[in-house]
Amino acid sequence: MIHAGLNTYVTLSALLFVIGFFGVLLRKNTLVIFMSLELMLVASTLALVAFSRFNGTLDGNVFVFFILTIAAAEVAVGLAIIVALFRMRRTVQVDELNALKH
Amino acid sequence: MSEHPYAFLALFLAVALAFPLVLLAVSQLWFRFFQPPKPSASKNDVYECGVASTGDSWIQFKPHYYLYAILFLIFDVEILFLLPFAVAFTGLPTGALVTMLVFVLLLAEGLVWAWRRGHLEWR
Amino acid sequence: MTTNYPELFCAFAGEASLVLGMLVVLGYDLTVGRKRSPTERWQASCILGGAALFSALVVGLRVGVVGPVLGGEFMLDALGVGTRAAVLVLAGLTLMLTAGTARLRNPAEFVAIVLLAATGFSLMAVAQQLLVAFLALELASLSLYVLAGFDKTRPESAEAALKYFLFGGMSAAFLLFGFSLLYGLTGSIDTSAIAAALAAQGSSPLLSVALVMVLVAFGFKAAAAPFHLWAPDVYQGAPATSAALIASASKLAGLTFFVRLLWPGLGYATGDVALRHFSPGWLAVVALLSAASLLVGNFGALAQSNLRRLLAYSAIAHAGALLLGVMAAGTAGPAPLYFYAATYGLATVGAFGVVAVLEAAGVGPQIADLAGLYRRSPLLAGCLFIFILSLAGIPPLAGFFGKFAVFAAALNFGGLASVTGWLAFAAIFLSAVALYYYLRVLKQALVAPPAPGADGRIAVPGAAALALLLAALLLVVLGVFPSLLLQIFS
Repeated sequence: MIHAGLNTYVTLSALLFVIGFFGVLLRKNTLVIFMSLELMLVASTLALVAFSRFNGTLDGNVFVFFILTIAAAEVAVGLAIIVALFRMRRTVQVDELNALKH
Repeated sequence: MSEHPYAFLALFLAVALAFPLVLLAVSQLWFRFFQPPKPSASKNDVYECGVASTGDSWIQFKPHYYLYAILFLIFDVEILFLLPFAVAFTGLPTGALVTMLVFVLLLAEGLVWAWRRGHLEWR
Repeated sequence: MTTNYPELFCAFAGEASLVLGMLVVLGYDLTVGRKRSPTERWQASCILGGAALFSALVVGLRVGVVGPVLGGEFMLDALGVGTRAAVLVLAGLTLMLTAGTARLRNPAEFVAIVLLAATGFSLMAVAQQLLVAFLALELASLSLYVLAGFDKTRPESAEAALKYFLFGGMSAAFLLFGFSLLYGLTGSIDTSAIAAALAAQGSSPLLSVALVMVLVAFGFKAAAAPFHLWAPDVYQGAPATSAALIASASKLAGLTFFVRLLWPGLGYATGDVALRHFSPGWLAVVALLSAASLLVGNFGALAQSNLRRLLAYSAIAHAGALLLGVMAAGTAGPAPLYFYAATYGLATVGAFGVVAVLEAAGVGPQIADLAGLYRRSPLLAGCLFIFILSLAGIPPLAGFFGKFAVFAAALNFGGLASVTGWLAFAAIFLSAVALYYYLRVLKQALVAPPAPGADGRIAVPGAAALALLLAALLLVVLGVFPSLLLQIFS
């Protein structure tokens, strides 16, 4: 049996965060970008739960509850925006969204 | 030979891996020797319950599905808060109950709003 | 820990009245309003929403400055109460402008979301604990994303909303990761406990990472360079009154939030920017952000031909000066920063209000389209004159006193031979550059004759006219008597 220490969890969550970050930067499809954003949020929850376990306080766990709610709300708002945009522009690729220029 | 208590798990894993692999190998052999590929228009068609398919398989879903999913999500997430509240219920003061009622009321207001706006009617 | 519910309710009766107002607005529109005409629905929604904002303002001021609430989870100090009041006033002005100019569908939803955003801002102003602060920030941000994309008839609105959402979502993720690291380092999500724990354990690489992540989110919220890329697009694409709220109240609440977090919470990692004993810390990073914003904002604005984009770049330039105020808050307290941000918010809401009225009358978004405004609508031209001059920082308007107070505080903070001193000088010099592009707008509006074919009178709706006059009057009065606003800090 392997005992995963705090460092393992923090490293994993940092890795997930970086993967999400590069997903946001490099992907062109809005939906994939959106999923990467969620990955960044989830990475933070992993870190919070791990810290909560090793600090011995419950604050981190409570924090995670609320982050899950916020992530759900963000999904609702984000998808609504993407649907509205698709209705107007017939595309969800970010490199085709360049109407806003002076 | 002392038997490890979890040795059967390893055996189970091996069988679980071998079973589909053998089946896949057999079907691959069958495909090679008895059923060479002969593509045709009706064979390559999209399968729709046996009925002749119409149109493209890449169709758009109605955004209505999305609204239903969001409304479900509200009450899905509500459980996240109601469950710990219910578990700790006996030790909580009246204020907590009132707070929780307000919380549920706010969510219900969202549902009433969607209902009255006609977002729940399938068009 | 037991929660004191009566105390909680007393401290947050204002927010409760906002949420209640939201329910009433939606309920009215679903029952009575659905049979009325769109104009009547807009008026009813805005009146109900305005009543909720007003009652929240009265209740919030009656609670007054009481110090920490609920064992320090919230801080009702002068900064908190002042920010709360200013944010509610700004949201109220936005509603009045919307009532007269908006051609959007779904009035009740618009007003309800403005009220939700105001709830978020006012909680941001007083939150002292990471979880509550993050929730308030997200409540405000999510409402603003929706408001930015509210105009479903224009593709630019949806595009602006998407850009705002993607940048905002990323900054929220950064902030959250920073918070989780802070929690991991200190074992607490309470700002004062974090400060104590950090002072005890000293600096560490993880602390620097957490600090950088928090500052990235801060840069986004304040629209500081190099995190400003969303601002021009959002200010241009969003409905004018949404843009007004994003530019004013959101910025003020965000600054209050981060001043609270940076000085008391992360005070240990401040560092020093004086040249003799320079040490790394968040001050150095904020100084960099400030310098970049001052340069990008002022020189970017020179190239703009669209009034909304010009306001966006001017917002970036002002963010640079506001960051200077954040740094100076260490010695001078938050009063100069608060005064600057509040009066800047007033002027911006006013300028966007003029844009909203013009767009409702079909006058285009280019600066050139302003030609002959003094003849087409003297009221609009006069109000725009005051707003733009206040943004430029011309005495005796409030914008001048705000700038003066912040620059004086920055010069005091580290003396002349420090990064803050230099930045203050750079900001004063760049104000001269700023004067050029502000005067370009005024020249079109006040001097240039109307273009042939576009010289009809522009009708200003009553509520919008009232809001513009109110904002202009406040700017003049606060410029002459700044102590009216600053007395809550003494």
